[in-house]
Amino acid sequence: MAVDNCGGELVAPVSAGDRLKLMLAVVPWIVANPGHTMAQIADRFGMEPDALEAELDVLWMVGLPPYTPDTLIDILEDPETGGLTIKFADYFSRPLRLSHGEALTLLAASEGLRSLPGGEADGPLDRALAKVATTLSPGAAGAIEVDLGAAEAEVLTELRKASVEGTEVNIRYYSANSDSVAERKIAPWRVFAQDGSWYVVAWCSQADGERIFRLDRIEGFDALGTVSQHRPDDSALVGDGETQVFHPRPNDPTVTLRLAPESAWVVETYPVQDHKVMADGSIKATLVITAMPWLERLLVQLGARSEVVGADGLDDVATIRSRAAARILQRYGK
Amino acid sequence: MARTEKLERLLKLTAVLLNSTTPLTAQELKLKVPGYPEAPLSFNRAFERDKDDLRALGIPLSMVQITFKDPPVEGYLINHDDYYLPDPELTPDELAALRLAALTVSFDGATEAAALWKLGGLVPFGDDSSEQDPLASLPMSPTLIPLFGAIVERRKISFGYNDLDREVSPWRLDFARGRWYLIGYDHNREDARNYRLSRIAGEIELLGEPGDAEPAPEGQRERTLRAWEIGDEEPHKAVLWVSQDRAPIAERMLGQSAIAVRPSAEGVEFDVSVSNVDAFRFFVLGLGDQAELLAPQELRDDIVRWLSTIVGES
Repeated sequence: MAVDNCGGELVAPVSAGDRLKLMLAVVPWIVANPGHTMAQIADRFGMEPDALEAELDVLWMVGLPPYTPDTLIDILEDPETGGLTIKFADYFSRPLRLSHGEALTLLAASEGLRSLPGGEADGPLDRALAKVATTLSPGAAGAIEVDLGAAEAEVLTELRKASVEGTEVNIRYYSANSDSVAERKIAPWRVFAQDGSWYVVAWCSQADGERIFRLDRIEGFDALGTVSQHRPDDSALVGDGETQVFHPRPNDPTVTLRLAPESAWVVETYPVQDHKVMADGSIKATLVITAMPWLERLLVQLGARSEVVGADGLDDVATIRSRAAARILQRYGK
Repeated sequence: MARTEKLERLLKLTAVLLNSTTPLTAQELKLKVPGYPEAPLSFNRAFERDKDDLRALGIPLSMVQITFKDPPVEGYLINHDDYYLPDPELTPDELAALRLAALTVSFDGATEAAALWKLGGLVPFGDDSSEQDPLASLPMSPTLIPLFGAIVERRKISFGYNDLDREVSPWRLDFARGRWYLIGYDHNREDARNYRLSRIAGEIELLGEPGDAEPAPEGQRERTLRAWEIGDEEPHKAVLWVSQDRAPIAERMLGQSAIAVRPSAEGVEFDVSVSNVDAFRFFVLGLGDQAELLAPQELRDDIVRWLSTIVGES
């Protein structure tokens, strides 16, 4: 792949196919926009000027039979301005249509950005999408919906702002682990969406350490505007790629479950130390327990179809589970 | 160097095909495009690879029978309408908005940059470079691009799902809760259905011709489905009580799947449309003893049975 994940800068194209793809886009652009310098064009296509110049060199040999000077593509450089012009390349006057993969990724990214809480309707992105849609089949309109997760526009905007400015925010936060609501002072470092939820990595004054908070569990907030002493420079949680949302400590207890096949998702979702698929399709998984209310809830949700096989650092998990179930049953008058 | 020779040959081949209004045979192309090996077998191999390379880039290289020759031979053609991107005439701020989108929401194995090259290049979006960290990354799935292609071309498709072959008119791809879903018309069940892409087995088979698919109904719901709305079951209207404490969280999680919300003793009652009982039970139990499923009796009995089995086991 010649391009990186964020649609930004170009690594030198490697295969002939990747280089052809670039040429079939750059040449039409220069044909349509004569007079730009090598540096300006390189910038436009996310390349180094030297790399682009080396790529364009191949054009001297390209043209139509009989490959006489008047049928070969001509690149002219204005001696004064350095502006480039390409001649005798009428057949490359427009780029190739978007492939399905290109259209999909562009539309999905745009729908994702549009779905951000507080996104601007009828802005330049909406206008751009409407224009791009006219170059695709009519079926492409409304072909993709992207929902990155629920969050209130104000919370998302303020947390992103605080993370850029390095300022502190007070939040009222519902913790699913402890099943309680508490006030916390945090210094947001990075906001991101993953697996359908929005999270903020932050320094938490109450915990005196870095923590991850879910935006849809923030029940109230107050931007303090004070600059935090804690910066994300050494943070393990602020960086590229997937963030591990769970952070087990070395002495956390573990529980081993035999999961019914339909509960296999547990292995992908929670901090699992170890797991093994059994002959009957069930999965033996050892989970790290970071909080008791969380364990109780999960055991009740998984139900009797999943079996508690063992535990380390916890007594009688089966009783913990049946007490939690009995407590809910009381609600139902049983 | 060999790579540059290959690039040069592919560019010439594309130029010759784009410049021709009639189909050209392999032998004609060999004469018109310098750089092919002379020996027939080596030529065939090189030409086959070049055709594959052009098609992999999405170049619409088609093959037609040239019938006036005797015997008829195969000719190659690039249809101009299929090749040339009409100019969408994007303004700099529109191009910048697309680039910001590509930088904000990344895609595993992305090709956004290539799309932006074609649409007019990478235009900077102001001086705010501090927000270049992608906010979210969307996962790629092997069936995603074929399904998108089928939706765009309005083609009927078939695929394996839950051990059954489904014949489907695809309408829309939804990314929700970190997963991709397909929404479409299920011809076997004669109703709209949704499918999780990770559960689609094998390849997407295209049926019929472009345009054959059942069209999506007007005013199709354009909102994210919750887990308990995604299922094959006849929808239930469930009534869920949630304590005052947990009501704000529950309201957010239920979203628009809650048809009605009203205050109730020490809490809030929600009317929820449920077409996946397992998923809804899971959600309700996640609220612990802060929630009670009031109706219908059938679902209430299901929860009581579920909990009683747990208690009975110990």
